[in-house]
Amino acid sequence: MGERTFAEDVKQLGYGAGQILQGEGILAITKAVLQSGVSYIGGYPGAPVSHLLDVMGDANEPLLKPMGIYFEASGSEAAAAALLGASLNYPMRGVVTWKSVVGTNVASDALSHVASAGVVGGALIVIGEDYGEGASILQERTHSVALKSSLPLLDPRNSLSAFAHFVEEGFNLSEVCGQPVLFSIRIRAAHMRGTLVCKDNIPPKISMRSRIDHAVFNIEKINLPPFTYAMEAQKFEHRLPAAQRYIHEHGFNEHRPGAEESIGIVMQGGLYNTTARALALLGAADLYGASPVPLLILNAIHPLVPEELCGFLRGKRRVLVVEEGMPNYIEQQLKALAHDERLSVEIHGKDLFGQYGELVPYVVVSGLKKFLTMHEAATVPGADVERRFEALTAHRAKLGAILPTPVAKRPPTFCTGCPERPVFSAMKILRTKQPEVGDTHVSADIGCHSFGTQAPFNVGNTILGYGMGLSSSNAVAPLFGKRVVSVMGDGGFWHNGLTNGVANAVFNKQDSVLVILENFYTSATGQQHNPSTGKNARNEPTTMTIPQALRGLGVTWIKTVNPYRIGEMLGTLRRALTTREGGLKVIIARGECQLERQRRERPLIRKKTERGERVSQPKFGVDPDVCTGDHSCMRVNGCPSLTLRDNPDPLRDDPIAHVDASCVGCGVCGEVAHAAVLCPSFYEVKTISNPGPWERLVGRVRMRVIGALAGA
Amino acid sequence: MADHRIVSVLIPAVGGQGGGVLSEWIIDAALLAGFPAQSTSIPGVAQRTGSTSYVVEIFTRPRAELNGQEPVFCLFPVPGALDVLLAPELLEVGRAIEAGFASPSRTTIISSTHRLYSIHEKMPAGDAIYPREWLEEAARTFSRRFVSFDALALARANRTEANAVLLGALAATGVMPVGVDSFRKAIEQKGVEVAANLKGFEVGYELVRRGADRPAPAGSVAKASVRPEFAAECAPYPEPLRPIVAEALHRLIDYQDRAYAERYLRRLEPFVAGDHDPYTLGGLVARHLAVWMTYEDAIRVADLKTRAARFRRIETEHRAPAGQLVITDYLKPDLDEIYGILPYRLVRPLAAFAERRWPRGRPTLGQHVKITTVSGFLRVWLLARLRPLRPISYRARHEHALMAEWLGAVEQCLRLDYDLACEVARGAQLVKGYGDVRRRMVAAFRALLDSVLAAAAIDPGAARALAEECRTLVLRGPEGEDAASQTAGRTLERLRRSVAGSVLQRDRLPSD
Ligand code: SF4
Repeated sequence: MGERTFAEDVKQLGYGAGQILQGEGILAITKAVLQSGVSYIGGYPGAPVSHLLDVMGDANEPLLKPMGIYFEASGSEAAAAALLGASLNYPMRGVVTWKSVVGTNVASDALSHVASAGVVGGALIVIGEDYGEGASILQERTHSVALKSSLPLLDPRNSLSAFAHFVEEGFNLSEVCGQPVLFSIRIRAAHMRGTLVCKDNIPPKISMRSRIDHAVFNIEKINLPPFTYAMEAQKFEHRLPAAQRYIHEHGFNEHRPGAEESIGIVMQGGLYNTTARALALLGAADLYGASPVPLLILNAIHPLVPEELCGFLRGKRRVLVVEEGMPNYIEQQLKALAHDERLSVEIHGKDLFGQYGELVPYVVVSGLKKFLTMHEAATVPGADVERRFEALTAHRAKLGAILPTPVAKRPPTFCTGCPERPVFSAMKILRTKQPEVGDTHVSADIGCHSFGTQAPFNVGNTILGYGMGLSSSNAVAPLFGKRVVSVMGDGGFWHNGLTNGVANAVFNKQDSVLVILENFYTSATGQQHNPSTGKNARNEPTTMTIPQALRGLGVTWIKTVNPYRIGEMLGTLRRALTTREGGLKVIIARGECQLERQRRERPLIRKKTERGERVSQPKFGVDPDVCTGDHSCMRVNGCPSLTLRDNPDPLRDDPIAHVDASCVGCGVCGEVAHAAVLCPSFYEVKTISNPGPWERLVGRVRMRVIGALAGA
Repeated sequence: MADHRIVSVLIPAVGGQGGGVLSEWIIDAALLAGFPAQSTSIPGVAQRTGSTSYVVEIFTRPRAELNGQEPVFCLFPVPGALDVLLAPELLEVGRAIEAGFASPSRTTIISSTHRLYSIHEKMPAGDAIYPREWLEEAARTFSRRFVSFDALALARANRTEANAVLLGALAATGVMPVGVDSFRKAIEQKGVEVAANLKGFEVGYELVRRGADRPAPAGSVAKASVRPEFAAECAPYPEPLRPIVAEALHRLIDYQDRAYAERYLRRLEPFVAGDHDPYTLGGLVARHLAVWMTYEDAIRVADLKTRAARFRRIETEHRAPAGQLVITDYLKPDLDEIYGILPYRLVRPLAAFAERRWPRGRPTLGQHVKITTVSGFLRVWLLARLRPLRPISYRARHEHALMAEWLGAVEQCLRLDYDLACEVARGAQLVKGYGDVRRRMVAAFRALLDSVLAAAAIDPGAARALAEECRTLVLRGPEGEDAASQTAGRTLERLRRSVAGSVLQRDRLPSD
């Protein structure tokens, strides 16, 4: 979406049987969805699954429409989950996607209802398990949701063909057991590049080209008592047993026997690759994953199949469970099972790996080493394991002596030229220059603008969920000595902020200030369209605007500001914070996402220049002899292009400010220097390519005069 | 089974550096050469600027020999089992080493030496850049081989991209199972900027093949040479001071005139005469005094902004003649800076009033001056002509009084302890910035002088430690300023108590 195109990926999604798709894990999943005969596709973007929606947006015209598949980028995860309602009464397949655990939380209401009533058409939920390194959200896993709502949860082994296989099987499973199925994919797996042998795409039976013509009414599908009691019974008497049967009969979980019969390792499918590598490094497997230690790879982690597990445990002395996150449901279930079946097997897991955190190789290798050296095993000698472990880790001891202080952190921040950054500059300036007004509580929100809480701004006291900026200040505002501020992006506003934030605040007569950062895209997840874009994901024009929505809810104090004008922003903030007028005061900082803008404008400018048309391109600079190296600009600006360089002056100590070649000339450097009264070092240079003859002449005359005065 | 391996490559990058393309070239080259391979990435939160990383794994056994067997690739780099660390930026090498990835027995580190500074290196008021020597030393210690060069500079010079240069370097190290031609083919196959990228590839490849990948020694050479025009005049000075004094003379004459430069020499004189090899104190005073005496008043700024050399510099930076450039200066002098250039007698009452009326943040005069227009240029240029007024200006009176205070303190401390005097001399590093920033820094500097002098009277050693600590804290930025004043308060308190204590003890002794 945005102005990016995914032409190559769309082409591959059209591949037929036998053709080889090359791409990331998430693309293989997307392709498998089309091979499964779905009638509808929806979801809310979020790493690492945004790509599914992005590609579908571009595939809508060439691929989805001809097959009659309905596609939408839903307004929120809740809306996406509710889409699955289509599979409740009608035998059609559908897929939705979002980032988890946060997206699952938003979706929970609808999700629980669908899970209770059950489905007749296969329903698959692709969740991007944004957990561990590289995650952008809080650290919880989705497993508990699957347990409480009785949703089968697939966590397949990491290969593109496994992903495709389990997407297709996921739909079958869903239909067999009558429950929506969760399909979990981790960050690195979603971005893993590999190949997939394709099958033909299957057009759905029910589609926009062949619609349903009568409504099905089945009172037993209505989520009201007494039917909900029957539904609950169904889940445990029919649906989950059916799921277990299917999982078992279709070999979802892989049992790999080995010579070392007294021990074994049980793992989540998604952790297989790391575990296999760790075993290989410790000498307990080859590079193809063949190991003398018996392995049980659980590609379906809910529901577990007791027969399978018992079969694996029986006769073993010790079993290790490789399971990520807490609670350790798999380990607990295994222990309970062993107890019930009176099996005398020791079960290890979190005692060796530690309770929480991502199971990265170092953790897995360390845990496996402990497990493998507990008792002597014939084929995997403990001493050998120890020696190999030692070889892998010995060098760590020397680290402290050579890097005496931790390497400087690199927190994520706003892009060069971002329109959101100057808003935080203004807030920081107000906080320092006029603390009696500006040094107040700020409720931040989720989106790129959450970087405002990071260096150099540190503006924002809480982050409590997407679109929750305003609502999370509702109890602070009346109890705080100054007027408080909350922040929201346009993505968050349309997702949740409009109702839970604005409507709630107006309804409860809040007296506070809301700053909406409107950059026309849901940018943090990859510039997806939202109502502020003026186009939906299918590129159809829309007409919703933030001011209209605000007025509709009764907000009267609304100011729209160009965020690059820091002085204006500062003045508006000050006014909002000091005006006698009560109620909610909304400032809309309106400026297009710079990434999008550059993506669009760069090629245009290049073309214009080549055609010989006049082009004026701004950039900023710092006079090296005027800069005294106090770096106060860094502390209020924070642009990645505003950086340091060695002081060219041999008499001075500290590095000076420097604008590097990546500057897009947004002007914030100058505005900050002005608004915060920093220094006269900054200047703007507009380079004119292909100037007209008159301009050329004037330029030459000017430089003649200036040159004469300036001297040699 | 023959001795086949999985070669693993980690590319720790900063968002927007093209790490993704680099990893795609590598995996494409491997696939073209017939090896099974896999890559993955952690894209980082933002599209830009955060730390991102890419992992590529290649199995050294060609697919043709596998008979349907599949190697199991790992999605993570494994600490201690990494073959190549390919870094487009030097700090990220440090981060990867810190995480334990690189191992002395296995890893080849290939890194560009250029730096993208993190915000935590940029924010402090002093020099907080993570020491390059540490990073390079770590890379040497934690690798089998460390290949490093400035890939960005090479790329710019050859009008290509740094990641292509790095790919060439990787190919040249021979650590990959993939032949050089497969890399070239991968670039061609990708089809973007093929000519430029191939050029970059060859540049990197040649450089490493020739073994010319040693980083240039750190530290600038220019700092040590003596300006020839002042060589004779500086000859009487001890050798280590000559380059500094020459530089200072040049600067002071350029700033004001010959007489002003002589005033400098007179002030410096006692600190040189009383000093001895290696002339640490003399050097410190010489350097800081020259910088301070050329404080940036509005006249100086106007002068620097209207010099021909400035226009020439901008022309080269932007690769266009000045006639095709529109330069706008963002000037915003505050009231202090405006009346600062007027004669002391004239503005003293006004200044006194302003200080009372606006104790924090004086009124300002914001202007955007188009300095490439004749009228804009003239406005600034005429301001620079006020230079003769400078010696009698309000600002001059102020600055020179403060300088005298500083030099006095250095002298006073010199009588107690040489190192203490040096530390006090170093304190002048704090005097910088414009407007409010400078007022704050000056206040911090005066506080430092006061507390250090008070402490020196009791315990010169403690005073020296205090001076150093306060300077370091203030250079960390505004939060450090508060910390510095607290530290000073605490230290003084402690010293005073210990004096009182020892007095008490002495008093008690006889009666014990
Ligand atoms: S003008 Fe300054 S803030 Fe704007 S892009 Fe350039 S360096 Fe960044």
